[in-house]
Amino acid sequence: MGAGVICALIFSGCSNAPAGVNGSNFVNTENSTSFFAMDTVMDLKIYGSEDLLVEAESKVNNLEDRLSVTNPESEISIINRDKIGRLSKESAEILEGALEVCRDTDGALDVSIYPVLKDWGFTTGEYRIPEETEIEDLLENVDYKKIAVNNAKDGSATVEIPEGMEIDLGSVVKGYTGQMLAEYFKENGVESAIINLGGNVQCLGKKPNGEKWNIAIKSPFLESKSGILGVLKAEDTSVITSGGYERYFEQDGHIYWHIIDPATGSPANKGLASVTIIGDNGLRGDALSTALFVKGFDEAIQYWKDHGDFEAIFVNNVGDVFITEGLEGNFELSSEYVAAKLTIIKK
Amino acid sequence: MKKNDFILIAVILIIAITALLGQRFLLGGNPDSPMVVVTIDGVEYGRYPLDEDREERISLEDGSYNVLSISDGEVQMKEASCPDQICVMHRPIHSSNDPIVCLPNRVIVIIENGEDSSIDTITN
Repeated sequence: MGAGVICALIFSGCSNAPAGVNGSNFVNTENSTSFFAMDTVMDLKIYGSEDLLVEAESKVNNLEDRLSVTNPESEISIINRDKIGRLSKESAEILEGALEVCRDTDGALDVSIYPVLKDWGFTTGEYRIPEETEIEDLLENVDYKKIAVNNAKDGSATVEIPEGMEIDLGSVVKGYTGQMLAEYFKENGVESAIINLGGNVQCLGKKPNGEKWNIAIKSPFLESKSGILGVLKAEDTSVITSGGYERYFEQDGHIYWHIIDPATGSPANKGLASVTIIGDNGLRGDALSTALFVKGFDEAIQYWKDHGDFEAIFVNNVGDVFITEGLEGNFELSSEYVAAKLTIIKK
Repeated sequence: MKKNDFILIAVILIIAITALLGQRFLLGGNPDSPMVVVTIDGVEYGRYPLDEDREERISLEDGSYNVLSISDGEVQMKEASCPDQICVMHRPIHSSNDPIVCLPNRVIVIIENGEDSSIDTITN
């Protein structure tokens, strides 16, 4: 009798039965997926129906089909080839959102930098250092102000660009997509989700246990042991980092990275190692993380002070960390960087 | 309880403990210990204990390849046929949530049950 009880205890203790019963509470089931799209890896985790993930993946593929510069049939490729073409409503909104940041940052972001990026080999991985005259020639056709957009009543747009120009929305499309997916999940009753599109993070709500999401900010320094600069607690927001460390090559002792300053046609180098933007608008966060990296520390701080409708984490080349005041209490340096100088920027 | 009950309990306990120890030390490691998991285009290719040094050549059908090296509790991409070499330049990893990705070959290396599990995701 006694042995029977103990047997039951032992065997039940060894079984791997699920700890909780979710059958009646389907919306809170954790579901995740991981797939390749937009030249990166997309990780989606939601507390909600698996069907939503299937639909999310098809939304991403659909957007990529229309915007990819490597798909010769995409709306963007047709504009780049014929110098005139039509953007569907969603594509037109993305271009408009990008152009707004181009204007607002005086061209620190420029969606027409693509031919220069290609010339350096950053789009293929076949890296090279272009001749100065090559860059000068290419820069003549880099100017977002020469992109003519004519909006139609239905929200679509006809876009015309000058001979020699090519445009690419790669600097904003992942930020846009993260936000679009979060809105889609929310409309379908999901209260908690975390979306990581190749390092661009969008979180919906909080974790199911009511805590904020813990989002690690990658260290921009190659010699880092842990790879993690610090951890940000966040909810219902996008968190997007840009840094030279993401894609670069080394030649003759110099490091050349993929964030090109549209003013010089060469890698942007104004003292920053990485810029993280935290805000409601994923498209804008994606665009600003690049644009403020290009602007450099002083101008980036000034931009934040003038606008202030987002938060930011700046890391300079010597490893000092600066966070905007709204992040105070929600950001902590990792144990590896606990001795780094951390400054809170106030208005 | 009778004497036989105690004998039965003792035998069951011995069997249970032996089975647990066997699982941990003889049959390829504790299921909760850190594992290196490799996927190619979303399909699992292999899993290897993080605490056993080894080198693994991942060969793809089209002739491209990645060479994975597990050493001293860390894993890194030692070599790869891809043009951008981003996976090779990725620092060795030992914790969860910082995957090594080779986009051209669609190879992803992650660690399951690694440390830092309090982190939900990582930006870069």
